[in-house]
Amino acid sequence: MNIITKNLRLFWQGTVLSYVALFAWFRPVTYAASKILMPLAQIIFFTFLGSYASGGTDVDFYVIGNAIQITAVSGIFGVTMSIGGDRWAGTLPYLFGTPANRMMLFFGRAFMHIIDGAFGVVIALGWGALLFGVDFSHTDFSALGLTIIVTTTSTCGLGLLMGCLSLITANVMFVNNTVYFLLLIFSGANIAIDTLPNWMQAFSKALPLTRGIASARTLIAGGSFADVAPLLVSEIGIGIAYGILGYFLFTWFELHAKRKGTLETV
Amino acid sequence: MNTIEVKNLRRIYRATTGVIRRKVKEVEAVKDVSFDIKEGELFGLLGPNGAGKTTTVKVLATLLIPDAGEVRVKGLDIVKDANEVRKQIGFIFGGERGLYWRLSAIDNLRYFASLYHVDPEVSKKRIPELLELVGLKGRGDERVQGYSRGMKQRLHVARTLLHDPDILFLDEPTIGLDPVGAREFREVIRNLQSEKKTILLTTHYMFEADSLCERVAVIDKGEIVALDTPSALKKHVRDLSVVEIETFGIDPKVIDDIRKLPFVDALSTREQDHRQLLLVQTERGAEAVPDLIASLEGMRIGRVTVREPTLEDAYVRLVGGKA
Repeated sequence: MNIITKNLRLFWQGTVLSYVALFAWFRPVTYAASKILMPLAQIIFFTFLGSYASGGTDVDFYVIGNAIQITAVSGIFGVTMSIGGDRWAGTLPYLFGTPANRMMLFFGRAFMHIIDGAFGVVIALGWGALLFGVDFSHTDFSALGLTIIVTTTSTCGLGLLMGCLSLITANVMFVNNTVYFLLLIFSGANIAIDTLPNWMQAFSKALPLTRGIASARTLIAGGSFADVAPLLVSEIGIGIAYGILGYFLFTWFELHAKRKGTLETV
Repeated sequence: MNTIEVKNLRRIYRATTGVIRRKVKEVEAVKDVSFDIKEGELFGLLGPNGAGKTTTVKVLATLLIPDAGEVRVKGLDIVKDANEVRKQIGFIFGGERGLYWRLSAIDNLRYFASLYHVDPEVSKKRIPELLELVGLKGRGDERVQGYSRGMKQRLHVARTLLHDPDILFLDEPTIGLDPVGAREFREVIRNLQSEKKTILLTTHYMFEADSLCERVAVIDKGEIVALDTPSALKKHVRDLSVVEIETFGIDPKVIDDIRKLPFVDALSTREQDHRQLLLVQTERGAEAVPDLIASLEGMRIGRVTVREPTLEDAYVRLVGGKA
């Protein structure tokens, strides 16, 4: 078996088995609630609130923004559990005691959450069509599908970075919740970015989701793939940047833990 | 030929305390440890809690970087050639953690097989064989969360043998197991020994080391205080006898007073429910009994016996009678 095959196998096994092993919501009832009820609750809450505040003129803005933002549940919380779960399971020494390729090990943890996150967005958009009459008749569905995958991937990139923080700090859920709410504010899901002060706009642009949400809105309003292509390139670029940063933090953590003897500290 | 070479190993843990005035506290877990393990040897590392056993194993398993010294596994440096070393070794730390409880035993093994780059065809054949070896045949499809502690420990053994390593580090593998589980586990270790694996075993249980290990190093406060075969270590206490006195609710001050008696070489205690068993090492043997009974005047005393010393007694003497 050559090295590429070995690593692809590691990636795939790590992807599937770590998802089942470490994603704490992987119980049918909890999973259904996180995929069906939570998007519903978020969309209803922010759409009614936003419509009330804006005089009910732009329901689609809130529905699409929150439907795409839902991917952060898988991308941030799910990926964090899949990385940080090893600390709680006590499996970190056994992982770091293997000769496994760390990059495959690390990025493999996010893959299922990309699919899972995309599935959640589709359900959320379905709620939008069903409850708020969002019109998809002018939508380029293949481009929208690509937008969902790209945005979910980029959000998982940030999740990988947060997952590494979960190896370093025990308070990662506090950090994750903060990031989730920051994304609600600054990704453009609920507040138009051009209405924010300049420094906040700069912060928005450094986040995943921002361009993905803009792209989805453009496509559902009838825009073409060519209109959103630059947004998608930037979106995936940001996700990759976060993912690489997370990977370096992961390798730093391994070295640091071996120097300090903190591999098993929880 | 030496498979494992440890020379002047030193490892310090540094912990910081305080928020504003941060203080660094250093604990020297391993001070200047040196030993070699021959190919195919079962080598024991004994010592009280905090002696440096687990730290030594972690360094050997490439999970800790030493502060000083040289550690080689099959001639490979455990820091510079860490990835190559990992392919040659398997390790187990005592306790139930370290497995994915929501996965079945087979899925746990499949995942670790991929981490060790075991060919899928090989792992498909080896996983059932290993489950049989560790007595989990027919239970491999069950989730690990339903396993007993002993079953989890045995699954750890299967996990560590997936890539067929020549060298095994077993850190207190029988800790917390019931007597039957521990006995079964020792049988697994004997099987591995018969396969010519080089094994480093750390344990608290002297009879375990006595029955399994070819050589034993006794480590105390980060230093090796003795290294020899179990029978040679017992010679340290050859001239002594052990007086065992069963007491009920003995005052710790009385124990200290007995320890100071001129004919007492070493003293250790063992709690057994509401009883305390005093183990007094003395050259006087049975002649010391009247004086010892006199020291316990007014206390409730049970059975008193005099016996030959064991490896445990040698160990107690080596670590200063504090076990």
